[in-house]
Amino acid sequence: MKLLTKMTIALSASALALPGMSVAAQAAASPISLVGDVKAEKVITAPDGTESTELVAPTAIIPGDRLIFGTDYAHGGSEAVNNFVVTNPLPAAVRLAPDADPALEVSVDGGKSWGVLTALTVSSSDGAARPGTHADVTHVRWVLASVTPGTKGRLTYPAIIR
Amino acid sequence: MNTYPRLNSPLAMICGAAAITGLVFSAPALAGGVTAGTLIENTAVASYDDGAGARTINSNTVTVRVDELLDVTLTSQDPGPINTRPGDAVLTFELTNQGNGPEAFTLLANPAVAGNDFDVVVRSIAIDSNGNGVYDAGVDEILTAPQTTAILAPDTVLTVFVLVTVPDGASDTQTSNVNLTAEAVTGSGAPGTVFAGAGVDGGDAIVGTTGAIATARGQLVVGVASVELIKSVTLRDPFGGTSAVPGTIATFTILARVSGSGTINDLVVTDAIPDGTTYAPGTLALDSAALSDAEDGDSGAASDAAGITVDLGDVTADATASVTFDVVID
Repeated sequence: MKLLTKMTIALSASALALPGMSVAAQAAASPISLVGDVKAEKVITAPDGTESTELVAPTAIIPGDRLIFGTDYAHGGSEAVNNFVVTNPLPAAVRLAPDADPALEVSVDGGKSWGVLTALTVSSSDGAARPGTHADVTHVRWVLASVTPGTKGRLTYPAIIR
Repeated sequence: MNTYPRLNSPLAMICGAAAITGLVFSAPALAGGVTAGTLIENTAVASYDDGAGARTINSNTVTVRVDELLDVTLTSQDPGPINTRPGDAVLTFELTNQGNGPEAFTLLANPAVAGNDFDVVVRSIAIDSNGNGVYDAGVDEILTAPQTTAILAPDTVLTVFVLVTVPDGASDTQTSNVNLTAEAVTGSGAPGTVFAGAGVDGGDAIVGTTGAIATARGQLVVGVASVELIKSVTLRDPFGGTSAVPGTIATFTILARVSGSGTINDLVVTDAIPDGTTYAPGTLALDSAALSDAEDGDSGAASDAAGITVDLGDVTADATASVTFDVVID
């Protein structure tokens, strides 16, 4: 895994050298800010045996654990923006949790086609189409027709580490 | 430049999400899940129209490192109790690293199990170096104390041999158990126990559902066969009676009876011709079937000087064989 870490750093460094200015300029000029975070869902057992779920900073994370990926958006400009779409590719190491909002718009083909999960199919190895499952989801997205100045919102999806 | 809380690296936001996810993740499907040390990186992308055209903005990238799950299973590979005699025996086990990270396991064989009729002596623990599933002396690696496997990649399956010696005092049908335990070197304990910083790349190591320790039982049953030879004689004198006089024919019967369990290998019955008698040629028989006197293809040979020899070969328990021959009193 050390090799991969180095690759990521090298990639970042080269990316920095090339479009550094333009990205900074773009970020400064954007009326929309987008801040991501991740929390781990841990079940806490009280002394009396009752269980409650808490969102905590993700430490000691292993396969099967549940993560909540969140994105806070805020409109800090003065003009409304239209066709606001937040797209979130799922990291390959997680799958969408089965209790994700059924109305969530997802893609099972790398972002080419979209819909609610129950409306999507994937082709299995023998070529036949089968219903898409939560583990097939590659992207999630949220679509808002317009966002007015001063609006804030939080978008989340639950995931389970494969 | 904006700064964000929980920002993993200021540089990370500059990388496109697609570029990162495409390069970093090719996590194979493992029993223990995503490999320990894998970085899960999440970036959202917003696109919108601000009136001047379509625009795109990336969120910061949040990163979670997958920690190491410690899990192990161990099973006996013997189809049932190993049939053995006093002496050396081999028990075979299979160890699997069910975790998601590279891990070594300490092995401990305990021959003193409650209920044993006798306890074996554990000579050593060996690894199936050539992967053929059978212990090969001089080929398969004998572990030195403390017996510990090499670091095994996730999902690695290892065949382990426990070499034992059954004591001479063990008798037929007695049984004995040997418990082999495999424990993750990083640690074991209740599921969910965290060993901070002890995992891959300095991450945590967390005990999985197996407790990171597994025990399997190998069984032995002693099969000791014993041989009993019963010799009897009947006399037929020249006058139709049973007195021992010159010319009397004495028919000897040697009954070989194998009892206990298991097998007696290469059982050979021999007997000398008694002094004062002469072997009656052509009378040697096994289970009433005649055997030639010559040392030839059949299992028997007989002569006045050398006596009789019958090779019964391998005889299983509960079998009997009857050897007969005649002598004439001089």
